[in-house]
Amino acid sequence: MMNLTVSQSIKIENKKVFLNRQLYFEMPQDTDFPTFTKALYKHAETKYPKFFKMDKLARLGFIAAEVLLNGQSLTEEYPSDKIGVILSNSSSTIDIDTEYYNTIKDKDNYFPSPALFVYTLPNIMIGEICIRHKFNGENNLFVEKEFNPDFQIKYINGLFDQQRVQACLGGWVDYSTKGYEAFLFLVEMADEAKIPFNIESILKLYK
Amino acid sequence: MSERVFVTGIGTISAIGNDIESTFHSLLDSKSGVGPIRHLKTKHSNDFVAGEVNHSNEELRMMAGLSEDFICTRTALLGIIAAREAVKNAGLSNLDMETTGLISATTIGGMDKSEIHYHDYIQGDNLEYAKTHPCGDNTEKIAEALGITGFSTTISTACSSSANAIMFGARMIKSGQLDRVVVGGTDALSKFTLNGFNSLMILDKEPCKPFDENRKGLNLGEGAAYLVLESANAIDLTGKTPLCEVTGYANANDAFHQTASSPTGEGPFLSMKRALEKAGLSPGDISYINAHGTGTDNNDMTEGLAIQRLFGEYVPKFSSTKAFTGHTLGAAGAIEAIISILAIMNGFVPPSLNIKTPVSDHYIRPQKEALLNQVIEHVLSNSFGFGGNDSSLLFSKLRK
Repeated sequence: MMNLTVSQSIKIENKKVFLNRQLYFEMPQDTDFPTFTKALYKHAETKYPKFFKMDKLARLGFIAAEVLLNGQSLTEEYPSDKIGVILSNSSSTIDIDTEYYNTIKDKDNYFPSPALFVYTLPNIMIGEICIRHKFNGENNLFVEKEFNPDFQIKYINGLFDQQRVQACLGGWVDYSTKGYEAFLFLVEMADEAKIPFNIESILKLYK
Repeated sequence: MSERVFVTGIGTISAIGNDIESTFHSLLDSKSGVGPIRHLKTKHSNDFVAGEVNHSNEELRMMAGLSEDFICTRTALLGIIAAREAVKNAGLSNLDMETTGLISATTIGGMDKSEIHYHDYIQGDNLEYAKTHPCGDNTEKIAEALGITGFSTTISTACSSSANAIMFGARMIKSGQLDRVVVGGTDALSKFTLNGFNSLMILDKEPCKPFDENRKGLNLGEGAAYLVLESANAIDLTGKTPLCEVTGYANANDAFHQTASSPTGEGPFLSMKRALEKAGLSPGDISYINAHGTGTDNNDMTEGLAIQRLFGEYVPKFSSTKAFTGHTLGAAGAIEAIISILAIMNGFVPPSLNIKTPVSDHYIRPQKEALLNQVIEHVLSNSFGFGGNDSSLLFSKLRK
């Protein structure tokens, strides 16, 4: 019998970062997003200058994965094509869509930006995570009203059942001008599941 | 649990036809839908060609049989027309729709309307259209028009979106969560994407030439396509004859660059290979590949190399149909799935148009003329998206 366990989780919300439910990093409530993520990037001792070219959604997903994996190289433990990333969010890429649209909306001030346009797809965030960590497995992004653990658990369980993945990142990464939230978890197989991969565990970690 | 997943209905609208029949005839007659931009209001309309659906929103609304009160975008209108045809083709009743799921893909959602009304929104006008902007709203509008009240969700993974919708629907049937599901995708042309792809400098101003040595980029297109997938159980109950079977699917990440494929086409290679494994088939079983073949330098080169790597000496017939439809983004995977199914149903290989000189770095050669009376058993359909999201689907003729 294969047991799936949630081996790591991270929640980023309200300028606080909880790694495996422990407070990992915190900044004052009035800190803006670029300052907060830059400080988190430094705190995690990340060296990946491309981070600063990413849009806010990709930056959020990227830094969440970075802190979650904390230097751990999953490709040393698993074949790269058996590591999947399944995420969802509600706001898709509305923030960068608006920013990009502002570059084409006026005839007099018209400068369509390729650097912005590239990020107007939510799965680019997944691409950035996959490029960084060399994950070649299945990846998908669902746009949903709210975080739906039942759906994610079924989807990821299915990937393990069909031996499509041996490790999988799941979760929710949402950014809009109203606010932002990231919740990522790493699912792996284990002889004994310390945190079994089920709704109760996920809700507890998400809370 | 259903071991097998069947396709029982198909529907599509694109630059090459308002329905399945006209689409098939355009393919057979090598009649491209790429031409001048007539309906999208853009200052670039004389600079670029595109695969535009040659109907105004009012005409589409009439075709969809919707009243003025039904507030929706061009993306949703295209989706409703194609999904209606698929449901009708599958012979489903209104009652059936209550137990049917919907998985719909899109990349731009309601951008077409937001562009028209953007300045109004800021003034507080036409706000009823602002609600149609989200990708999910377009899915909900399609569900509403079709009477689907059960499971529905939206996938947004760039140009592989609707291939992933088909893959996900097939899985839901296999795992017994649904007996019937409408899967596919829809995207309308927009200034947003036209300007964006132009800024990336990957648009060809002339009709695109996938797999030609001198290809210059892609043409954008618009359209929608949906398939009805049913379980063996559902087929047994109704006794209907399916059109074909979904036997394989796989998705992989290229993990190389946001918008470019890796030099070896690692993601495309993995997705094709694993779709074959899923179906329990070997490369020699494939009769035809409907390539992603966008016409960009990078895609066609790396996709060709991945095909050569997987198939070796014996490469099946392959073509890209993007020169017919333009690149319809979130709808492309489903439109090309339907072209693949038409190939199986009609023993047909659609051609790659506009090829003068094949790619010199490839030893493989695309099919340049339409072929009929072919034995088409298994067809592989590729869709690769930005973010390195690569998917391959495998459709098979029904086993006797």
